[in-house]
Amino acid sequence: MAFYDGLFETLGLSEWCEGEGSSAPMSMADLLAQNSGDEVAGEAFPFPSLDNLSEACPAIIQSRDVTKGIEDGFLAAKPALKSFLDPITQPLSWLLDGALWTFAAIPWFVMVPLLVFIAYWASRSIGVTIFVAFSIMLLGFVDHYDVAMQTLSIIFVCTGISVALGVPIGIAMSKSDRLQKSLVPVLDLLQTLPTFVYLIPLIFLFSVTESKLYGIAIILYAIVPVIRLTDLGIRLVDQDVIEAANAFGMTSRQKLTGVELPLALPNIMAGINQTIMMSLAMVVIASLVSAPGLGVNVLRGIRNLELGVGIVAGIGIVLLAVILDRVSKAALTRVDNTRMKH
Amino acid sequence: MTQEPKVSLRGLYKIFGARDREVLTHVKEGMSKDDLLAEHGHVLGLQDINVDMQAGEITVVMGLSGSGKSTLIRHLNRLIEPTAGEIIIDGEDVMQLSETGLRGIRQGKMSMVFQKFALLPHRTVVQNTAMPLAVRGVPEAEQDTEARKWLDRVGLSGFENHFPAQLSGGMQQRVGIARALTANTDIMLMDEAFSALDPLIRTDMQNLLLELQDELHKTIVFITHDLDEALKLADHLVILKDGAVVQQGEPQGILMNPCDPYIEDFVSDINRARVLRVKSVMEPLKGTKFAGDVDIGDNLESLIARSGGDTTLDYRVMDGDTPVGELHMRELVKALVPRLSSTQDAEGA
Repeated sequence: MAFYDGLFETLGLSEWCEGEGSSAPMSMADLLAQNSGDEVAGEAFPFPSLDNLSEACPAIIQSRDVTKGIEDGFLAAKPALKSFLDPITQPLSWLLDGALWTFAAIPWFVMVPLLVFIAYWASRSIGVTIFVAFSIMLLGFVDHYDVAMQTLSIIFVCTGISVALGVPIGIAMSKSDRLQKSLVPVLDLLQTLPTFVYLIPLIFLFSVTESKLYGIAIILYAIVPVIRLTDLGIRLVDQDVIEAANAFGMTSRQKLTGVELPLALPNIMAGINQTIMMSLAMVVIASLVSAPGLGVNVLRGIRNLELGVGIVAGIGIVLLAVILDRVSKAALTRVDNTRMKH
Repeated sequence: MTQEPKVSLRGLYKIFGARDREVLTHVKEGMSKDDLLAEHGHVLGLQDINVDMQAGEITVVMGLSGSGKSTLIRHLNRLIEPTAGEIIIDGEDVMQLSETGLRGIRQGKMSMVFQKFALLPHRTVVQNTAMPLAVRGVPEAEQDTEARKWLDRVGLSGFENHFPAQLSGGMQQRVGIARALTANTDIMLMDEAFSALDPLIRTDMQNLLLELQDELHKTIVFITHDLDEALKLADHLVILKDGAVVQQGEPQGILMNPCDPYIEDFVSDINRARVLRVKSVMEPLKGTKFAGDVDIGDNLESLIARSGGDTTLDYRVMDGDTPVGELHMRELVKALVPRLSSTQDAEGA
């Protein structure tokens, strides 16, 4: 019989073990062995895992009960979670749908100059502006204008919300060591959790037809750098300057808006740049859960083995990434230069 | 010296550490700084500081690094909280103030100049200078005129729209001083304000400060580790060592009568002829024949130059138009030799 039988006998737990539990086969191998009547030739000294222990003592749960438990627990909590999360995340759906609609509704001959102008306004660099114009034209030229605009609109909305939430959280973190200690593991988790894993609980919570599903996934993933760098930026503000602000009797609010935020701005901008890049990375993966845009074409390339479609969409994503990165970096250096003049 | 002091510190103690109030009793019983650190892991910052600062005077607090002088000045506006003691400004105990009251004092009564300038790098020179007024919510036009006025006064007109990083260290500190002056407070705290500047600029800045002081008569608390600077600026000199006041008083008096070997060491290195003034070595008026008149405020160096090194001469000392004493060149030369501490033997130090 099972390897650990002896253990439970010496512990005097045999009776408790026999009490309940299923004798259902645990794996296909078990099932085959049961049917053919042969014992499975087990390892000489198996690891005391749940499955192996359960074989000797049916009262112990099996590993599949753990995953099942998590699933059941999640499903049990779902109605409560949903009734709470649904209303507060609904505006996200509206924003995303609205942005997608707006970007689609504005004709290209208005949209392209507008984007080029925004690029110039943010970067104040002729080179970057020309590059942006060229890239958008190129995307349009191979008929990827619509999908690129969908991707862009999702990024705009998600980055905007990430910044609107992330900067205040970062400020709060920089003011309270306790909050920082408790939030850092959460941020680490959000950043290291494989991107696909975000999608699993979200699919259970929301319907795949709702835009907020991918919106939440993108924001959760992309909000981390802006929080981290806002916190870091404020903590790195020269203590001598803070002391001067205190010595002249500034209130906390005056200190925050007049000293800390302006001096932390380069770091915050670097965080926003990272946030934009990460939302772009996630918007591609989110095409798995019905996020429109270039990611859908990449997905099509993988699913249908349409090499060309996948590669053109991939290059489109690279172009968007370079545009967004260059424009936000140029804005960052501009802020650095004009305000600090080092 | 009969008037009420503008600022007075009474029995001020500062101990750095988590259980500062508990270990305070040990310090009061006479435990030394080293023992406190070894036995309790607490650092003694200041012990039993009693200093009166008169209105309109420059009080210089001098000491080497780690003597607690920067800690001391930060107690005046409570950037550092004392462990025990009273800080009385204009008869009001700063320790009793609420957060709002404290902010009021910082805005309206005290301004501060920092060793590392501590200007806001993202604001222009004029915005930096106007900062104390902006904090108080003064209308912008008024902020601007005031700031420009003081920038002009410290010799920085034309640089209003530059950023601090575009200016040299000396100019940045002028902005720092202009900022403190714009605040228009009675008390100015200067924390090693000139220590980061090179010697020539430092002399310039000292002269600027004295010139401004002649005109404005502020109560200035000046921190320095440089004895020459201290003697040049001080009306009242406080010498700190290991967080305690070793000697305080009129600078010439300290120079002529150092009460402690520590101060003798300090004093022995300076150019006494330049620092000592006629007032400190003159004697009561007795004679009638003099080689000439000298002013009571002249330094000895100028007298040596005037006498051409002749030690037999006597001079009459004048305070304005009244003769107040006489000066023998022989006594003057003796005064140039550093004196041993008068109390050294008595205290067995």
